[in-house]
Amino acid sequence: MSTEALPNIPAVSPKEPMWDAQRRRALIGVRLRRAGVYAVAITIAVWVLLPIWLIATMAFSTPQDVRAFPKALFPNPISLDSINFFLNADGIIRATGNSIFVALLAVVLSTLLAVPAGYAIARYMFPGRDAVRLVMLSVRAFPIVVLAVPLAVIFLQLGLFDQPFTLALMHTALTLPTTVLVISSVFASVPFEFEEAAQVFGCTPLQAFARVVLPLALPGIAASAILTFVLSWNEVFAAILLTLSNRTLPAHILYNLDKSSDPFKFAAAFVMLVPSLIFIFFIRRYLFNMWGQINK
Amino acid sequence: MRPSLPHFHCPYLQPQAFQLAFTREGQSLSLRAEALPDASVTGTLPLQTEVRVIDRQQLDEVLPNGATRPVFWYYVSGTDANGATVEGWVNQRSLFIENRRTSETARVTGGEAVREWTFDHLNRMLADFRFGTAVSTTLLLMVLIVPAQFVLAIIMALVLQSQIRGSGLFLYIYAIPLGISDLVAGILWFAIFTQRGFLNSLLVSAEIIELPFIFIQADHMAWMIAIIVLAEIWRATSIVMVIVVSGLQAIPRDYLEAGEVFGASLWQRLRHIILPLLKPSLQVALILRTILAFQVFAVVIAITGGDIMTVLSNETFRWYDPARFNNPSVAAVYAGFIMLISLAISLFYMRAVRSQEEAVKA
Repeated sequence: MSTEALPNIPAVSPKEPMWDAQRRRALIGVRLRRAGVYAVAITIAVWVLLPIWLIATMAFSTPQDVRAFPKALFPNPISLDSINFFLNADGIIRATGNSIFVALLAVVLSTLLAVPAGYAIARYMFPGRDAVRLVMLSVRAFPIVVLAVPLAVIFLQLGLFDQPFTLALMHTALTLPTTVLVISSVFASVPFEFEEAAQVFGCTPLQAFARVVLPLALPGIAASAILTFVLSWNEVFAAILLTLSNRTLPAHILYNLDKSSDPFKFAAAFVMLVPSLIFIFFIRRYLFNMWGQINK
Repeated sequence: MRPSLPHFHCPYLQPQAFQLAFTREGQSLSLRAEALPDASVTGTLPLQTEVRVIDRQQLDEVLPNGATRPVFWYYVSGTDANGATVEGWVNQRSLFIENRRTSETARVTGGEAVREWTFDHLNRMLADFRFGTAVSTTLLLMVLIVPAQFVLAIIMALVLQSQIRGSGLFLYIYAIPLGISDLVAGILWFAIFTQRGFLNSLLVSAEIIELPFIFIQADHMAWMIAIIVLAEIWRATSIVMVIVVSGLQAIPRDYLEAGEVFGASLWQRLRHIILPLLKPSLQVALILRTILAFQVFAVVIAITGGDIMTVLSNETFRWYDPARFNNPSVAAVYAGFIMLISLAISLFYMRAVRSQEEAVKA
């Protein structure tokens, strides 16, 4: 292990054997501790990954193997039958389409609203700036269960019930506080001097924003958009309350869960899992930016 | 007089929720000072009230085609909802009366739609036999899940901070559940603990037990709670972990190094340096997780089906669901109840932390 730090013990004289022994003992201690940390790290990693591996095994087994007992830890033979069965079940394609539509619309709306808001919070001191942040955080703390029931009734009265775009509005409202704070932290990390320099060289403030700040902030904005997509894709309570025949994928699956067979359930879980895995991979660098900001 | 509300649709969430929870649509008959439809109101009577007819008037009503027909107005006296005797004129349409010309008594059968205050929905929630179990199960889950999540999250964060090789990979792995929905997490753990699931496969193959053990059934409440707790710890610890890690990164390295130089053990450093400095982050995470713990929903349904075990959000959905109770009012009471508990607990946390700080200062 080349990176490991040697214990910081002053080597008084390498000739004295007592110091040597002590040093060796300390080294062994460090190695043991390091091994312990690795053991803990790997144990936790297995704890996180094992259920995902098991569900992937189920999803890639034939329906007969899924029903078999005892179950194997590897799919044998590997087959797409379960996933095909799930995807061809009634309403799944449509529900997936609804889910993607809702999530994309929520991403577009919340990004369009959050970019100017986040920029204003990051760059300008205005009266009530802290109050705005606080109010947004309090919205984030509001239980979705509490919001969804009255909203469903309002949508019924307005004739907007059971339409995917109203669910997208709900998801936008839910994710907007997070998105605004994340994007404002992204803008805050772009040095103001860049913008000033652009203006010195003759850009209008808008041009400076569009040509200098925005390109630098784009990866962070993309990360927050992905986060919004994942939140909307996963959200189930508001979805199941606000839609009836145009259910999103999680709402459709949850609503029919007690009538579903095991192969259907496990394939459904795997299909819903995959986008999350991919998206978290892409935004992993930005996780701490996001939550570090919200922490304050 | 019973206060009645104007009949309106409120497009704002909180008033709408309040209106749903504490009002109901009813009918009541307005008594008029004169035998005219828009004369001033002298009192209201609830439906089905027996009234005494004191006086009557026969008027002619003009129909759209120009013809006229006789219409009776009655001066009636009856007892309103508060027990007071009220008198006034009413149109024959709102009464059931045997003989228009001679009967001395009548019964109120119609009136105007009104919204009235009511505690019916609240009482219905409180009287529901699932209410008590929903509250106790939700609280029990919260008490079991939240502390375990914090312990695990702090361990994860310390592991990531110890700068082992591959910590980037470990970070990604630990963050994976962040993107996984509660529904998926529920199904994953259902796959492990169901009767023909992986755990039973393991136990039977290893010949530890002969027959598969049924973890998920109504008389194994402790097992179902344990499975839900595992699933929630598995799924939602990453959020706490991310908050804790970003809090750890904000701690100046000097403090930790100072602790190490003076020979503090890991536990001592944790107890006297890391945890006190992490307190703001932990407080945020605690409030967030507690509020979310009251909304635990899809995990419970995916693992238990939502019938043999229930939680508050599940009850909200059951009362709202058009295919089941179809009663948004009781659902709104449940929602308000969840909000009140979450608010109370958040305030309690903040107060507790503040008084602790004051005690330290004093």
